[in-house]
Amino acid sequence: MDNPTLPIPISHISGRYLLFSIEAVTYLRREHNICGVLTGTLPQASQQNVFLGLPLQLMPEEARVLVDKGIACIIDEAKAQTSMISLMEEDRRRYKRELEAQGHHVTRLLADRKNKRKEEALKKIAENKAKKSAKADAESEAAASSAIPAEEESAIVDVFADDSASRSSTPTSAPQEILGVTPPTSYPPLPNPTTSSDLVLSKPEVPLSYPLFAHLHSRGYFLSPGLRFGCQYVAYPGDPLRFHSHFLVVSAEYDQQIDLMDIVNGGRLGTGVKKGFLLGGPQKSREEAEIERTESVVTYSIEWAGM
Amino acid sequence: MSQPEWPSQAPSALSKLIHDAGASGNQPTATTIQVLHNLQHQHLWTSLQIHDISDKFKQYYGDVPTGELPIRSLISGLPPHRVYTHPDEQLYMLQNGIREDELRPERLFVLPTSQGITFSLRLYSMLWGDNLETVVEDGVITGPVVGEGKEKKLDEYYKKKVECLASKEWGSKRILLAMVNRGPGGDGTVVYYVIQEGEVKPRQN
Repeated sequence: MDNPTLPIPISHISGRYLLFSIEAVTYLRREHNICGVLTGTLPQASQQNVFLGLPLQLMPEEARVLVDKGIACIIDEAKAQTSMISLMEEDRRRYKRELEAQGHHVTRLLADRKNKRKEEALKKIAENKAKKSAKADAESEAAASSAIPAEEESAIVDVFADDSASRSSTPTSAPQEILGVTPPTSYPPLPNPTTSSDLVLSKPEVPLSYPLFAHLHSRGYFLSPGLRFGCQYVAYPGDPLRFHSHFLVVSAEYDQQIDLMDIVNGGRLGTGVKKGFLLGGPQKSREEAEIERTESVVTYSIEWAGM
Repeated sequence: MSQPEWPSQAPSALSKLIHDAGASGNQPTATTIQVLHNLQHQHLWTSLQIHDISDKFKQYYGDVPTGELPIRSLISGLPPHRVYTHPDEQLYMLQNGIREDELRPERLFVLPTSQGITFSLRLYSMLWGDNLETVVEDGVITGPVVGEGKEKKLDEYYKKKVECLASKEWGSKRILLAMVNRGPGGDGTVVYYVIQEGEVKPRQN
């Protein structure tokens, strides 16, 4: 599998962190335990909330983890869009030629495949014919007409090859229509935004729970937003498609006062959905650097005792 | 109209117990007694002890007199059944045909609290000190594995248990948090939660 060129550009658009490249999305999920949330809907069915597609929206924490690890950087998308205007006419033409060449290539591939199928079908017909004529020879004494089998054969041709292939006998060297290629990425025509420093934004602002997020992420957990379960994050021990989650995660500062009732709520809720309730936070205060805070994280797992 | 005479109600056994201990107006001590009473009579725990840990919490709460500490003691005891078995430990036991009732009882620590107390991570961290030895009671096997059949299996199990507790494979040090339902509308229910240090995967219940 291809890995995208690093660092991966994360588009920052009106306060959201978005990924538009499927390559980057699969790579981050596969190699860096980052799932994000798919947010793209079809314009005709904007109410649907399952089977969503690109773009992938990242939590600020996810974006921050990736930036801290040097895997990604944040791009000011509005600025990057304006840079498209500066695309040189010559570049544009070259890119279009390239796309055309790709179209040619695809068309040729398709035509080749069609021809192959045609040849196979013809071969089969020839075989059938040979078989049948042998049979017919044997039966010719009974003076059977061979008109009906011939008709059947032509029906077989129609099934195996579609209309254009069977009707047009134009050679493959001159296909009438070149397929249009729609590129899935915008970076080949545009310069990679991560290389121009004026487009790269500073690290994302993260909530106070970031150290706990980074701590769990470094332990190999996949974290997703916890709204569905009434917590801050849901922690999965592996890819969420393969594993049930282990914890409902809530972060607190070291000296933050937590009502016991919240612990009971969390513990009971977690046990009800076969999860643990994980309470944790950094020992260092919020004035310290995030890296040091992350290293000082302590966590406690809470479960209903069942008595 | 004269007030009707209500027959005076005798205090409950628990109230009497708390009163007799001289802890009527002293909430933390009363909570401890109530939780101990609950463990002893409802959950049938044995060899219950109260450990004074007020020194630890004095640092946390600053210089307050011992009488005003909201938390000042731990209870420990032997539950009649295992309260907590780590899922991996359970798997090991299943694979080796060890039943829970064949094992020696484990001393477990309980932190008595009541509704209205607030907690912080710092407070929890202080609890995980030296006075939380939740390893198998005299279950530390140092010598070679002896015995035949079941005995051998149990010995192996205890040995493995010590290793796994050290490496946190079978969970880490654990404590039971007991919370008494108090205050207006409180009915004196005691609820228990297992708290463990670190990320310990949940049980398959």
